[in-house]
Amino acid sequence: MSIPLASQPQAGKKPPTATRMKKGLKQWMAVLPFIFLGVLGTAVFVVYPMIRNIFISFQDYSIMPNAENPFVGFENYVSAFTDPNNKVLMAIRNTILNVIVTVPINWLLAIVFAVLINLHFVKYKLVFRTVYYLPIITSWIVVAFLFRFLFAGGEYGLINFIFYKVLGIFPEPVNFLSNYWTAMVVIWLFHIWKTVGWGVVIYLAGLQGISKEYYEAAQIDGASGIRQFWNITVPMLAPVTAFVIINLVNGAFNFFPQVYFITRGGPMDQTQTLPSLMYMQAFKNFNFGYASAVAVMMGITVFLVTYTQMKKFGNQKML
Amino acid sequence: MKTKWYLQLLVYTVIIMGALAFLFPFVYMILTSFIKSAYSLPRPKEIFSVVPNLDNYFLVWNKNNFARYFLNSALVTVVSMVGSMLLGCLTAYGFARFQFPGKELLFRVFLLTTMIPGVINIIPQFLIIKNLGLVSTYWGLWLIYIGGGVVGSTFFLRGFFQSIPKEYEESVLIDGGGNWRIFWNIYLPQSLPAIGTLAVLSFQGTWEEYFTALVIIKDEAMRTLPIALLMFNDKYATNYGWVFAASIIALIPTVLLYIVFQKRFVQGGFNEGGVKG
Amino acid sequence: MKFYKKISIGVMSAVLAFSLSACGGTNGGSASNGNSDKTGGNPGNTGSKKVTIEYWHTYGEQEEKVLTEQVVPKFEEEHPEIKVNLTRMPYEGLKEQVIAGVAGDAAPDLMRMDIIWVPEFAKMGALQDVSKMDGFEEVKSSVFKAPMETNYFNNGYYGVPLNTNTKIAIYNKALLEKVGLKEAPKTMDEFVAASKKAMEQGAKGAIGISGPHVWGASPYFWSLGGALTNEDYTEVEGYLNGPESVKALETIVQWGKEGLIIPTMLGGEPGVWDGLKNNEYFMIDDGPWFFSTLMNEENANFNIEDTVWTQMPEGIGGSRSVVGGENLVIFANSKHPAEAWTFAKWLITEEPQKILAKAGLIPTNQKAANDPSVLKEPYMTEYVKQLETALPRTPIPQYGEMETIVNLAIEKAVRGESEPKAALDEAAKNIESILNK
Repeated sequence: MSIPLASQPQAGKKPPTATRMKKGLKQWMAVLPFIFLGVLGTAVFVVYPMIRNIFISFQDYSIMPNAENPFVGFENYVSAFTDPNNKVLMAIRNTILNVIVTVPINWLLAIVFAVLINLHFVKYKLVFRTVYYLPIITSWIVVAFLFRFLFAGGEYGLINFIFYKVLGIFPEPVNFLSNYWTAMVVIWLFHIWKTVGWGVVIYLAGLQGISKEYYEAAQIDGASGIRQFWNITVPMLAPVTAFVIINLVNGAFNFFPQVYFITRGGPMDQTQTLPSLMYMQAFKNFNFGYASAVAVMMGITVFLVTYTQMKKFGNQKML
Repeated sequence: MKTKWYLQLLVYTVIIMGALAFLFPFVYMILTSFIKSAYSLPRPKEIFSVVPNLDNYFLVWNKNNFARYFLNSALVTVVSMVGSMLLGCLTAYGFARFQFPGKELLFRVFLLTTMIPGVINIIPQFLIIKNLGLVSTYWGLWLIYIGGGVVGSTFFLRGFFQSIPKEYEESVLIDGGGNWRIFWNIYLPQSLPAIGTLAVLSFQGTWEEYFTALVIIKDEAMRTLPIALLMFNDKYATNYGWVFAASIIALIPTVLLYIVFQKRFVQGGFNEGGVKG
Repeated sequence: MKFYKKISIGVMSAVLAFSLSACGGTNGGSASNGNSDKTGGNPGNTGSKKVTIEYWHTYGEQEEKVLTEQVVPKFEEEHPEIKVNLTRMPYEGLKEQVIAGVAGDAAPDLMRMDIIWVPEFAKMGALQDVSKMDGFEEVKSSVFKAPMETNYFNNGYYGVPLNTNTKIAIYNKALLEKVGLKEAPKTMDEFVAASKKAMEQGAKGAIGISGPHVWGASPYFWSLGGALTNEDYTEVEGYLNGPESVKALETIVQWGKEGLIIPTMLGGEPGVWDGLKNNEYFMIDDGPWFFSTLMNEENANFNIEDTVWTQMPEGIGGSRSVVGGENLVIFANSKHPAEAWTFAKWLITEEPQKILAKAGLIPTNQKAANDPSVLKEPYMTEYVKQLETALPRTPIPQYGEMETIVNLAIEKAVRGESEPKAALDEAAKNIESILNK
């Protein structure tokens, strides 16, 4: 990758500082017109708010203009973990569950659908791709309305209607959103339904890059379709897979609309994730310090978890 | 070589089932939007036997200022999409083609910001807009959407820009053209599919954005479409026919845009390109 | 460089042209409102210039119609120097909007705010103490005491009551006849016995607790003798988890076990109104909006005549319901507090209150509430009567968090995840720790 090398002139013989400064300045002058606005926008609307949040996480913060906002050290951080209802721990647990459950399913569905659609005899590939991608371009709010509607409790929600009335699989209508596990299942299904299409499309692009010769050779050796899949397709797609998984993990870490629009964190605040918890703490209970502390901790964790992989794959986009 | 017919059948069954799983909820939503019942959960039997009609669509279009909010959203979205594209292309070009001290650091800071959830940034962002005197103006929204979206589009585009062979630049350099000419004559035309894709993603991200718009826009007449959608979710009871008719109207522009562009669609992270917020 | 300028100017001008034309097209009238507000906002301009005040509200559709077509024009006619700019806020995400407005000095002059938010925002310093304003005592004596008290915080009043409400018991007439009753049950014992019969007759639910939260459960909890705090709202320990409260919650939990409570409580279907209308629920409780919506529904097959309404069933705690409603508050950073106060005072005088009552909003003005034209809606008297015994939710700044905790305790108990006593003990402990912060 070019990035790590970028600012390092040939190791060993360093040019004198003045020359380097001059060169650096010249380079900056060349690039500045291009990146100035972008960097400025990011600094003002992304980086600055984050720095401000770090400050707020150490304050007893009130949003009133001219409020005092005394610094309270790590109090907000401590209270996040000494809360009697373990809200933060619950949210961490849910976040981990979200990753463990949705990432493998999402990945498997994506690669299987992509491989099947890519098979030589399948017609209307573009139609399938379009249909699979539809949920991705649909707004979260609308899909949330839809899922709440499909999973409505009682016998007239569609899912209950099918599984209870028509098929008789459920012994009684399920109140999906009012029990912890069923609510989590709805959240997961919502997420998977909404995002599988993305993985399918990425893999379809990746598959088109694999030369047919490999398969032809395998065919001559008499390898079955499933063997070909595991021995050729999967390894050849490894870089794509890495990219997909990093994005899926990052997505699963950041469940917010999934929770906010479906369960509001209920029942009993059990389905909260870290982003939804911090949002509600800030805007419902005015605990901005507490919310910021959670945000900071989460940022550090996600950064540590994904940084190393990101460095390897994050800037490697496929065509 | 010919694949056995039963294998073909199996494969088709699986992918058609998959397609139905994605399509069916939309169909059910469209059917529900034809229902004229009052505030109660429509029964599946009613839904499957409904006669298609556009009554709810006309009703919704004239309700809660829906039509005006639709146009407002179109304005907000198109401008911020154009702005995002412009800024994203410029920044990505800078990062893809130039060497300069501190580039790695800057890039890492960009990377870091993508990992922290943005929901908590609304208040500081709002305070900045307020200090600029732009509360309740579209300029305020545009600044946040464009400024907040640069990182995503930069990441998305930089990869494409990097894959453009250096040799292409030579003809421009020989003609005596500079960096701007290379940007305009080589990089942009070479990456059009990527830019188009990003445009669709950016459009979608802004079109459905709710939290920032709610906080920045105080004037009822200037609200955007997602707010109108949530206005249909009444305090006391929900009329599903209206909610879904409104939802479908709201979906039409994005879906159309996608279908137009989709042949040339390219890929990037699904968290990118949209607005962080 | 030149090239860049060309692009950027090109884009900018395109953007500008587009935004200007579109603004002109879509905003029309309101754009001029915004301007007049700005000029009115200059501190130098007093006297002759017309002042515009911003008013945020969350009225429903029917109510908003009355407000914009009748109430506000009447005010502007009587006070030609003041113009009221109305903004209907979405109920969804309302608190976020208020917070952003307050933080950014962009709050309106006045707002119609849920009564339980007032102490919370008052404590934050976001609201003006209106008790020092001109003519306050007069206002105070003209309205009912209980709703007025919801504005009290720290020796001041941070708003005036705009409309009040409570919930009464609403029975399905058909099911009532099925269990052999001519009249709705009066006492808790009769009510529970009738509910059991209704369930035997095939009803899907009988006791209309709409959710495991204070708003849904408190009328029953209080009527059964329970309490949230002591009378001064200063102590929780020993009250919320006192023996009477534990007994009350145990009774509710028992009802749940016997299947008497409507499935809506735990998120099931049908919804409260649906269940009653489809003759599936024996009884529900709800506010006056139930009737005003019902009466405005076109070609409905369930009418007000199909219901029987009365006071909440009387238990050892009396016939208790919960006070709801909205207050009118003036924000601390209002640019026109005097004009805002003029409007607030006017809104709770008799005439406007009577007009708003037509939309089902119960007046807080005593004269208006007792006016024959208001009481002519058949259900209105029942609500006014229930208000005499209804109790407020705890009017303290920490109520928002307190309610979350109480809700959790109720939900844990009715779901059987915790014994009622243990749930209430834990809740009392947690609330005490917030109160002592």
